[in-house]
Amino acid sequence: MPDEPVDVLIVGAGAAGAAFAWSLADTRMKIVCLEQGDWMSPADYPSTRSDWELRRFGDYGLSPNSRGRSEDYPVNDSESPIAVSNFNAVGGSTILYAAHFPRFRPGDFRVRTLDGVADDWPISYADLEPYYDENAQMMGVAGLAGDPAYPPKEVPLPPVALGRLGHTLARGFNKLGWHWWPSDSAIATVPHNGRAACVNLGPCLTGCAQGAKASTDVTYWPAAIRRGVELRTRCRVREITVNAQGMADGVVYYDAEGGECRQRAEIVVLACNGVGTPRVLLNSTSAQFPDGLANRSGGVGRNLMFHPYAMVTGQFPEPLEGYKGPQGCCIMSQEFYETDASRGFVRGYSFEITRGNGPVSTALQGLGTGDIPWGAGHHEGFDKSFDRTAGMVVICEDLPEPDNRVTIDPELVDSDGIPAPKVTYALSENSLKMLDHAVERGAEVLRAAGATETSAISPLPPAGWHLMGTARMGRDPEASVVNEWGRSHDVKNLFVIDGSLFVTAAAVNPTNTIQALALYVADAIKSNLANLFD
Amino acid sequence: MSDSRALDALLDTIIPPSADGRLPGAGAAGLAAYIDDVARNAPELTPVLELGLAALDARAGGRGAEDFASLDPDARAEVLEGLSPEQPAFLPLLSFHVYAGYYQDPQVARALGTRSAPFPDGYEVEPNDLSLLDPVRERAPLYRDV
Ligand SMILES: Cc1cc2nc3c(=O)[nH]c(=O)nc-3n(C[C@H](O)[C@H](O)[C@H](O)COP(=O)(O)OP(=O)(O)OC[C@H]3O[C@@H](n4cnc5c(N)ncnc54)[C@H](O)[C@@H]3O)c2cc1C
Ligand code: SF4
Repeated sequence: MPDEPVDVLIVGAGAAGAAFAWSLADTRMKIVCLEQGDWMSPADYPSTRSDWELRRFGDYGLSPNSRGRSEDYPVNDSESPIAVSNFNAVGGSTILYAAHFPRFRPGDFRVRTLDGVADDWPISYADLEPYYDENAQMMGVAGLAGDPAYPPKEVPLPPVALGRLGHTLARGFNKLGWHWWPSDSAIATVPHNGRAACVNLGPCLTGCAQGAKASTDVTYWPAAIRRGVELRTRCRVREITVNAQGMADGVVYYDAEGGECRQRAEIVVLACNGVGTPRVLLNSTSAQFPDGLANRSGGVGRNLMFHPYAMVTGQFPEPLEGYKGPQGCCIMSQEFYETDASRGFVRGYSFEITRGNGPVSTALQGLGTGDIPWGAGHHEGFDKSFDRTAGMVVICEDLPEPDNRVTIDPELVDSDGIPAPKVTYALSENSLKMLDHAVERGAEVLRAAGATETSAISPLPPAGWHLMGTARMGRDPEASVVNEWGRSHDVKNLFVIDGSLFVTAAAVNPTNTIQALALYVADAIKSNLANLFD
Repeated sequence: MSDSRALDALLDTIIPPSADGRLPGAGAAGLAAYIDDVARNAPELTPVLELGLAALDARAGGRGAEDFASLDPDARAEVLEGLSPEQPAFLPLLSFHVYAGYYQDPQVARALGTRSAPFPDGYEVEPNDLSLLDPVRERAPLYRDV
């Protein structure tokens, strides 16, 4: 019966949608997930071919605006110094992610109490801790227990290979007496749940052909489908519809052929990420919700947070074997994580050590800078650059500001004609000061590790890959979009489970916390089933 | 590409063999086939290349040589350098593809110790030395308890 409602309709099959679907499936409710992208084929990932480095500039690029894939939707980010980066497929942006997998720290949920800025979360680290643990098992988190930057925590798999590059940088941190630790990484360093172990290919950011990196198409989804969840791909949701009582009653979507379809549902759950979710809500206008669904507070789309990034790079005299090992996961430092008033900004940042470039990227970069000329000096130039650079990214905590926001672009549409999102974002004074501080400290530690020259890009323009805050949680319906367990204040059968929920951003990658939240919301639904819509 | 002798000479001028003999020149590495492939997918490249090659031969002729390929390496580099003001797009465009193709080449990758396609073999990495963490382990908790 085509018009039969399902119990739960999830939109988006990325990090959050997958974890949520898997968890809720043990209720045996009828759960359907609509995803605009398709299943990826790991055997075709770029690392299986010699042109793998070039494909980062093509169909595996960071921006949906240049990638040229039909399943992508455009994002107008012309009014932001940071471009939005995502991926649209089963697995969502985890197909491209580096799999750096830190938790938030307890203080990250209490920013107003501790530092008098932004807001406290309505939930705490202790509330999420069991879900971080569950997620660590399901995604397979590699790392090392005992990090003094965190309360004791479970880390099921041994750490990623630090390699010569990681060891070299670690000595630099030790010289300065600064904190560092092997990065928590969602990478199977040993076989885990049927996934093969990482073989240090390097290019994790164009998909892991080995299946070692925990993208949700190889972690939660197979398990969720075994539990009976139906995942419908190539289905792009235009809007959520409401009934006369103001409850969500389903969605309108376009199938692979562009045909308009309708799916009715008792519960609708948004997992389209910090840009995709407010886009769907703002596109879902009706007489009852003229400013977009669940938007009586006016908060949908506001308080968009990226993490302002910088990249600091050093030239080393010795080869570092930096092309071996997971590109984005090596060691990290939280030496400058907490507020220190003497630095002139509140909150702080993390360093994440990244590995070196492959030969093609090295050569092309050197062609651009003139460091690797054509002709007689070519090999000398290449030898000086290749495998002799190491660096880090800086991840700054971004504070929520209402004017940093996602709106609907008045003209831009995707291939189904659905209005596309527009991002308006400016870096705050606080972020700019923090970036400057971080770039100096980054160069200092690179020199301590033996770098002869350093350079920096700050802010890093393509680094809009952490999308947070645009449908924040809270107890006050005036000041938040959803309650403390993800349910819309205005529409009691509508839930948000992705990074849109974040009240503050912390200074670490968000996906572990996004999934812990998704699992937490799923459990809250299970325990409130009897009076879910009260 | 029509004149493969000229193209090979040009490729070897852009990336010559390394002095230690470890790495071949781009021409000797067979990059002409790669460039042909690229040109097939990007037809706008072909006229730029053909015009460039013709101009190089003409300039070599001006020096009394039969063609570009018959010049010695230093003279080729001079002639190529001299072409830039007249055809500014030629060298940057070609170099981009030559660099990209050369460093994908399996024999070049072997000489560098890398793999042209990292999958499936991957890499051995030196074992972790976690004793480096000893000073960090001794630190008091860095996080604020709430
Ligand atoms: C290059 C890169 C590197 C990254 N590295 C890291 C890292 O190291 N660590 C980390 O923690 N995070 C990292 N991230 C971020 C991480 O990928 C995201 O935080 C995470 O995937 C977000 O999960 P999500 O479920 O909210 O959204 P996504 O994973 O983006 O999934 C959303 C899904 O919803 C679908 N969707 C959206 N709109 C619709 C619609 N209207 N109809 C149907 N389907 C729709 C999309 O197609 C997509 O599949 C990285 C991201 C990128 C791009
Ligand atoms: S380094 Fe490991 S995780 Fe990354 S792509 Fe290779 S096998 Fe996958």
